[in-house]
Amino acid sequence: MKRSALITSALLISALAAFGQAPAAAPATAPPPAVAAPITIDEIKGLPTPDNAARIKGDPDGGLTGNVGDIPVGDAKKGLSVGDVVNQIGQNRIAINFVWTLITGFLVMFMQAGFAIVETGLCRAKNANHTMMMNFMVYGVGMLAYWLIGFAIQEGGVGGVATLGGANPLNDEFSIMVFGKAWGLFGKHGIFLTQGGTYDVGVMVMFLFQMVFMDTALTIVTGTAAERWKYAAFMVSSFVMGAFTYPIFANWAWGNGWLANLGGNYGLGHGYADFAGSGVVHAVGGVTALALGIIIGPRLGKYSRSGKANALVGHDIVIVLTGCFILAFGWFGFNPGSTLAASGNGALRISSVAVNTMLAGMAGSFGAMLYMWMRYGKPDASMSGNGLLAGLVAITAPSGFVNSVASVIIGLIAGVLVCLAVEFFDRAAKVDDPVGAISVHGVNGIWGVISVGLFADGKSNYGGSWNGVNGSVTGLFYGDAGQLVAQLIGVATLIGFVFTFSFVVNLVIDAVVGQRVGAKVELEGLDIPEMGALGYPEFELKAQAAGA
Amino acid sequence: MAYVGILVTLLGFGVAAASVGISSSNTVRLVIVLIGIFVSLFGILGMINPAFQKNAPWRKE
Repeated sequence: MKRSALITSALLISALAAFGQAPAAAPATAPPPAVAAPITIDEIKGLPTPDNAARIKGDPDGGLTGNVGDIPVGDAKKGLSVGDVVNQIGQNRIAINFVWTLITGFLVMFMQAGFAIVETGLCRAKNANHTMMMNFMVYGVGMLAYWLIGFAIQEGGVGGVATLGGANPLNDEFSIMVFGKAWGLFGKHGIFLTQGGTYDVGVMVMFLFQMVFMDTALTIVTGTAAERWKYAAFMVSSFVMGAFTYPIFANWAWGNGWLANLGGNYGLGHGYADFAGSGVVHAVGGVTALALGIIIGPRLGKYSRSGKANALVGHDIVIVLTGCFILAFGWFGFNPGSTLAASGNGALRISSVAVNTMLAGMAGSFGAMLYMWMRYGKPDASMSGNGLLAGLVAITAPSGFVNSVASVIIGLIAGVLVCLAVEFFDRAAKVDDPVGAISVHGVNGIWGVISVGLFADGKSNYGGSWNGVNGSVTGLFYGDAGQLVAQLIGVATLIGFVFTFSFVVNLVIDAVVGQRVGAKVELEGLDIPEMGALGYPEFELKAQAAGA
Repeated sequence: MAYVGILVTLLGFGVAAASVGISSSNTVRLVIVLIGIFVSLFGILGMINPAFQKNAPWRKE
């Protein structure tokens, strides 16, 4: 009797206590998910593996290939251990990132072909061999300079790349104290890819990816100086740019330099943020092109004596637009590849980066086409192509930090901006730029840098921080004015420092080698005098026959 | 004139870079950086380019 009374009392108290703790209007909820039992190494070892008899018949549906038997065992006597499994998971992540970064780097390398035919198509047929050859050899000249010293200056002090397994030997940055803070100026490890312990698999991935970016910057300049640039001067100028001009700014922005640390040192947002290089690659190429364009002067016949600009029409719009498509394709390496990862650290945002890239390119081509159509009555083909490129250039810096609506706005503005800039440099400044490289890459590279400071939405999160500052890059329209200031300091560095450096370097080359071919060579076409062969010998023969 | 323009262009960069040490206010820094950018642009488009345009080949054609 006592026992049953005790049990009844206990049940009543429990029920009352449970009632008292229950929320007043708790909705019916699903039962909590069952906690999975931890996986044991014995369980992993016990996983069935297909026997040899089954494998020998082939595996057409792929169901037998890749299993526990493929995990390398550290100690054959002990067999598979937890360490073996965990190490393999870690290596798989880094392997995914290696493959992603290398393949996107290969795509960027192919952009050289796009640049080559865009520039050649926009030039006259009599200079086709010379223009193609500059675009071809800039790849080798730039790579040589970058391997010798450029990479060390740029990345030698970056302090490791977590997504690529460390790249730890890149850890020596030369800095000076300015306003009480260390300002990184250049890296010191990586000369010949051996010095400072840089014979390292992660470093090699970084080198390949960064090298093709550097070469993109170099090939921008050949477009502005086309049809009158002395080939020897091109070689020297490109070497210096690959060895010093590009790497110095790239170090400041990407290599743990002072621009990258404006956030940590001075509270300016996340420091200068340039996701894939609107500033580092395109604006550096564009302002160097401007410096050289001023020094080398306009082509003969470009301006009449009154100063009126004449159109020197390119010879093949078909290859121009084909080249633009090749470049747009390569840009899927340029921007999404700049995560340097496809696994971990927020790298799945590569989908967003890729979509932003294609949308901005589309908007750029629309912007330019509609501007030309309204202003001149026809949807100009070459400017539509330049609009596509302008949109892609502009989205390069913000592609990792903005949403799709901002991407379209940025691209649309870029498409109009490139038309206005071409008109300004052509008619007002009288800087002859046969392919519009200053406008496409210089002006829109700068616009891309500024747009990060305006449109970054604070939703990206690449491993929790950017440039060592916790949180996401956020622009003025989303509440961080400091980010815009950091971006503008980057713009001032591009215009004030990179231009000056490039200008002085090319003035010296002009004094020593001479930048420009003679008037007779220019009028005749650079193919025979400079290269020894015509780009289109049969075409030239027909033209001569028709003119005869 | 071109050489003075080079110095003016570099000066603009110096002004912008110095903004971080001159003030801790982002508004003040923004104004200083914009001044620096305009000084550099003036050096390029207002001094260096006109100096080179004086001897441009098309003026002699």
